[in-house]
Amino acid sequence: MQDAENVAAPEAAEQRAEAGQQQEQQLAAEPPPGEEPPRPWGPGAQEAASGEDAAAEVEAGPGPDVPAEPAAGGEEAAGAAPGSSPPPPEESPAPLPAAGEAPGAGPGTRRPRLGPRGRPSFSDPEDFVDDVSEEELLGDILKDRPQEADGIDSVIVVDNVPQVGPDRLEKLKNVIHKIFSKFGKITNDFYPEEDGKTKGYIFLEYASPAHAVDAVKNADGYKLDKQHTFRVNLFTDFDKYMTISDEWDIPEKQPFKDLGNLRYWLEEAECRDQYSVIFESGDRTSIFWNDVKDPVSIEERARWTETYVRWSPKGTYLATFHQRGIALWGGEKFKQIQRFSHQGVQLIDFSPCERYLVTFSPLMDTQDDPQAIIIWDILTGQKKRGFHCESSAHWPIFKWSHDGKFFARMTLDTLSIYETPSMGLLDKKSLKISGIKDFSWSPGGNIIAFWVPEDKDIPARVTLMQLPTRQEIRVRNLFNVVDCKLHWQKNGDYLCVKVDRTPKGTQGVVTNFEIFRMREKQVPVDVVEMKETIIAFAWEPNGSKFAVLHGEAPRISVSFYHVKSNGKIELIKMFDKQQANTIFWSPQGQFVVLAGLRSMNGALAFVDTSDCTVMNIAEHYMASDVEWDPTGRYVVTSVSWWSHKVDNAYWLWTFQGRLLQKNNKDRFCQLLWRPRPPTLLSQEQIKQIKKDLKKYSKIFEQKDRLSQSKASKELVERRRTMMEDFRKYRKMAQELYMEQKNERLELRGGVDTDELDSNVDDWEEETIEFFILLRVTAVPLLQCHVSRAGPRLILLRNLHNPWDPPCFLLLWLCPHLGSSIHTLLCLVTPGSHAGGVGRRCFTFSCLGFLKSHHQCLLLDSGTCSGRRSPPAAVVLPRCSVHS
Amino acid sequence: MKPILLQGHERSITQIKYNREGDLLFTVAKDPIVNVWYSVNGERLGTYMGHTGAVWCVDADWDTKHVLTGSADNSCRLWDCETGKQLALLKTNSAVRTCGFDFGGNIIMFSTDKQMGYQCFVSFFDLRDPSQIDNNEPYMKIPCNDSKITSAVWGPLGECIIAGHEGGELNQYSAKSGEVLVNVKEHSRQINDIQLSRDMTMFVTASKDNTAKLFDSTTLEHQKTFRTERPVNSAALSPNYDHVVLGGGQEAMDVTTTSTRIGKFEARFFHLAFEEEFGRVKGHFGPINSVAFHPDGKRGRCQKGRHRRVQTAPTAAPPQTPATAGTGDPTATRSPGRGE
Repeated sequence: MQDAENVAAPEAAEQRAEAGQQQEQQLAAEPPPGEEPPRPWGPGAQEAASGEDAAAEVEAGPGPDVPAEPAAGGEEAAGAAPGSSPPPPEESPAPLPAAGEAPGAGPGTRRPRLGPRGRPSFSDPEDFVDDVSEEELLGDILKDRPQEADGIDSVIVVDNVPQVGPDRLEKLKNVIHKIFSKFGKITNDFYPEEDGKTKGYIFLEYASPAHAVDAVKNADGYKLDKQHTFRVNLFTDFDKYMTISDEWDIPEKQPFKDLGNLRYWLEEAECRDQYSVIFESGDRTSIFWNDVKDPVSIEERARWTETYVRWSPKGTYLATFHQRGIALWGGEKFKQIQRFSHQGVQLIDFSPCERYLVTFSPLMDTQDDPQAIIIWDILTGQKKRGFHCESSAHWPIFKWSHDGKFFARMTLDTLSIYETPSMGLLDKKSLKISGIKDFSWSPGGNIIAFWVPEDKDIPARVTLMQLPTRQEIRVRNLFNVVDCKLHWQKNGDYLCVKVDRTPKGTQGVVTNFEIFRMREKQVPVDVVEMKETIIAFAWEPNGSKFAVLHGEAPRISVSFYHVKSNGKIELIKMFDKQQANTIFWSPQGQFVVLAGLRSMNGALAFVDTSDCTVMNIAEHYMASDVEWDPTGRYVVTSVSWWSHKVDNAYWLWTFQGRLLQKNNKDRFCQLLWRPRPPTLLSQEQIKQIKKDLKKYSKIFEQKDRLSQSKASKELVERRRTMMEDFRKYRKMAQELYMEQKNERLELRGGVDTDELDSNVDDWEEETIEFFILLRVTAVPLLQCHVSRAGPRLILLRNLHNPWDPPCFLLLWLCPHLGSSIHTLLCLVTPGSHAGGVGRRCFTFSCLGFLKSHHQCLLLDSGTCSGRRSPPAAVVLPRCSVHS
Repeated sequence: MKPILLQGHERSITQIKYNREGDLLFTVAKDPIVNVWYSVNGERLGTYMGHTGAVWCVDADWDTKHVLTGSADNSCRLWDCETGKQLALLKTNSAVRTCGFDFGGNIIMFSTDKQMGYQCFVSFFDLRDPSQIDNNEPYMKIPCNDSKITSAVWGPLGECIIAGHEGGELNQYSAKSGEVLVNVKEHSRQINDIQLSRDMTMFVTASKDNTAKLFDSTTLEHQKTFRTERPVNSAALSPNYDHVVLGGGQEAMDVTTTSTRIGKFEARFFHLAFEEEFGRVKGHFGPINSVAFHPDGKRGRCQKGRHRRVQTAPTAAPPQTPATAGTGDPTATRSPGRGE
C-alpha cells in the first residue's frame, strides 16, 4: 500500500510536527453540517474524476498524486504547513512542485493539481484509466480534510500545563476549563498524551476568534502554581513563529546620520544664550541670541509648532507640538532630529538625562493598547512603553529621578517605580502605600519623598526612601495636618515640607516649614512656624537660603531665611508691603525677583540676598511671566497673549533690575531660554575663578567699554546717515516745490501763500477778548482738606451753605509736574437720597490748580454712569489746602 | 504752557482743522454741530447749523471764504465761513466720510461710504459752474469698489487726490480723469487719517495697524515709519520742525474696560528722520481722535473723546536729543522754543 502510505505520511508528519491543526480537526466534533465541498480543490477534483480527458489523467498519473493532494490542500487551508516540520524527505518534493508549477502545467485544467512526477516507478501503466472517484477512494480522508473556514483563529495553545497521568486528567481539565472559560465558551479541547501522561501543552478552541484573542491577552503569564506559568498563544501565531529563520541575520547597519554638533551654542565666543519666542498668537516661532543691544535672530519659521515649544532639560533639543506628534529639532540650523508619532499629543516631559521623552495624548488610549502616555527613546525614536492614564491634571504624571534611571508614578494607594532602560517595574512590584498623596524625587540622589495624610489614629507622615534598596531613611510623623507640599532644594541638599496644620483648639491654619537636612546623618529636621497665609515658597538654587511670601493682600511681606550649617534657621530679613505673588530665584542663587504677576499689575522687586538690599523696584505692567536666563545674568518679564491681549511684549532686564530692552511683538505668546547642561568645572575650578574674578572683570569691563563706544558710534553714524538721506529727500522736494511756485500763484489768484506772513498787508486787525474759562457755574467758597500720602483726597465743603453735603475729590498728584496739573481720579458726592450714601462718580477731563490764585479749576465731562450732563466748569477760588 | 480747553460738542470729536492762517479752528464731532473758534484764546466764534447727523469731516479753503462739511446725514454742505450761511447742500446716498477743497479753492471733493447697498464714490464739483451744484451733478464721480475710502486729501496743486482705504491701501486718483495714478499698500489695516505737510510735498498717514507712515505726495514713495503699540487715529506734521505728532489709543469700544493707563492715550512726538519718539503729552482720558498743528508750528492740538482740548503744544525738544523718548514726561514737550 504505497499509496496509502503516501497519504498517511504527510498527515502523520504534520500531526507530529504541528501538533495541532489536523488533530484539532480530527478531534473536533464533526464539521458543521451543510459544509461546502473543499473549495481549493473540489471542483477540479470532480472534473478530473468524472469527465476529464484521459490525456490529462494519464499525464498526471492518478495514483500516487492524488494522495499528495490532501497535504498540499492542507497547506493551503491551514497556511501552517510550509516549514512546519519537514515531512519525510522523499515526500516533500512532490507536493511542493505541484503547487508551484501549477499555472503552466495542466492544460485545460483549472487547477493543475497533478504535477509531473520525478519518479516513474510509482506511475501506472500508460493505458490505465482510473475509474474510481476520489470520493470513493479516499472518502474517509477527505472527510477530515482541512477546511479554510474551520476556525483555527479560535484556537489557542497553552504551554506549561502540568503533565498528569490519566488519573488526574479530569481534574486538570476542570481547572483549565475554569480558567479559560472566563474568556468565552470553549468548544473543544485537546490534551496530547505521551507515555500515559499529558505532554504539558494543550489546545483549546473557542466559539469565536475574539475570545481566543482575549484569552491570549489575559491568560498569558497566568501563574497556576510555582512551577507552572501558562504561556498562551494563538494557534495561528505559530505559523509566524515557525517562519522565523534559524539563522541570525546580522541587522543591517544603519547609516550614521551626522546631526552636527548639537551643542554648538555652548561654544559661542561671547557666551550668549539663546531663547525661543512664539508670537503672532503662535503662528511664528523664532530663536534668538540674547544680546545686550538687540536680540539677534537665528531662525524664524512660520507654523513651526501648533501649540507651544519646549526645550529639553540640557538644551539639546527643541520640541514642537503637532496634531500628529512631537518633533525634535537641534543643531546649528535647527534641523529635524527625531519625530514621535502620537496623535493629539498635549503634554510632554523629558527625562533629566535627555534619553527619554514622555508624551501624553488623551485621544489614543484603548483598553487593550495603552497609548495615553508613551515613553520614547529619543536617540532611536522607538516607542519604549505605553501606559494608561485617566487624567493629566497633575502633569508630569511620571516623575524622573535626577539621573533618569528611575521614574515613578502615583496611583490610588500605590507608588509604582519603573527602571530604565527596561521600562519595567522595579523589582517587579509597586509599593503599596495606602493614602499616598504626593511624592517627589530628590534632585540630588535616588531618594524619593512622599507623604500620607492622617488616618484615624495614625499620624500623617513624610517618608524618605532610598532607591533601589527601598530603605526608609527617614520617617517624620506630623499631626493635625491639612496639607503638605514638598520642596526640594535644587541640589537635593535640603527638603522643605510645607505643612499646613490646624493645631487643636484653634481655628486658623498654621504653616510649618519642616526643613530636612539631607546631607547629614539621620537627616535632622528643623521647623519654622508661620501664622500668616503663605503665598509662595522657594529655595535658593545652589544655596541654603529660602524665601517666603506671606500675609494677606495688600499687606504682603517677604522673609528670607538661612539654614546655617549647625542647623539653626535664621531669619535674615523681612520686607513688608510687597507687591508680589511669586518668587523667582536666579539659577545661580543670591539674586531674586519678587514679582506681582497678572492681578498685581506686574510689580517687580530685584533683591540681592547676600546683604538683603532691594536693588531696584520696577514694573512691567500686566506681566504674566518671569524667566531667568540659565546663567543668572538676565531676566525676562513678559506679557503673554495667552493671558492678556494687549501690550504683548517681553522686556529684558539685568539681574540688578536695569531695563535693557523692550521687545514688542505682535501677539507675543511665550519666551523660553535654552537651558544649559550642568557645568563641567569642578568645585575647585569654580572657586579659583571666583578668586580671580577681579582679573576677569577688568577684561570684561574693557570689552564692554569698547562695545559701548562702538555701539554709540554706530548709533551716531546711523542717525547721521538717516538725517543725510532725509535732508537729501527734503531738498529734492523743496526744489520741486520752488519750481511750482508760479503755478501756485496762478491758482490762488496771485496771492503768495507760501509763508504765513507773505501777504501780511491783507491782514485785518481784530480785537479778541481773552477768557480763560468758558463758563463758570456755581462758585461757592469751598473748604478743602488734602490728605498727605498717596492719592490726594480733597474734601470740598460749601461754606455758604454748610448744610450742603461735602464732596470728595480723589486726585493723583503727579510729582514731576509740580502742582500745576493733577489727574482727577474721581469725585464722590453723596447722592440725593435722604440719609443715603448714594455715590456719583464724575470724571473730569482736566483739573488745574492755579497755584498763585489758590484757585482750582474743575471741568466736568459728564458722569461715568452714562447720564450725560452738560459740560460745566467749576472754579474754586481761594481753595485753602491743608495737608 | 497751559492747554486751552474748548467745549462745544456733546459727543466725540471726529476732525479738527486750522485754516491756512491759523487764526481759526474748525471742529466737527459726532453731534450735528460744526464749531469755529478763535485759536488764540479758544473763544467760540460761531456754529454752522444745519446738519442732522454726525459730521465726519471739515475743510476750509485757502482764503477761508468757504467751509465744507460732510456728514452721516447723507449730505455734504458748503458754508459761508463768515456768515455761517449754507451755500450749497449736496445730497448723497450714503454718509460723507471725507471732503476737501483743492489748492485753488475752486473744486471740491468728497467721498461717500460703502453703506446701505451703495458703493463708495469720490465726487468732484467745480464751484465755478453753479449748475453742477444746483443739479447735484458732479463733473466726475470715481467709483471705488474694493475697499472704501476712509480718508482723503487733495494732492499738491490740486491735480490729484490721495485716498487711504479701509484695507490699508493708498491710491492717487487723478482729479481730471479719475484714473488711479499710483497705488501702494504699506499699511496692513485701515488708514484713519492723512495730513499733508505745510508745503504739501509729503504727507503722513495714521493707521489702525499701530503705525504712522510718511510718504512723498507726488510719487507716494514710502519714506518713514513711526511705530506705536496702539491704533493711530491721527497724525500731523510740524510746519517748522522735523517732527510728527501721533494721536490714538485703545479703540473707544474697549476703553470702558481698561484703565487710562493701559489705553495709552498720549499724544506722542516722533522725529521725522530718526523715527524715534522723543516726547509725550499725557492728560487724555480717551483715545485721541484728531490732531493738528497750528500753521505757525508753535501750537498743536489734539482732539480726543468727548471734550475738546486744545493743547498748546510742543515744538520743543531739540531734534538731536531724543533723550526724553519714553520717559513720558510731558514737560519736555510743553516748554516751547527750547533747544535749537
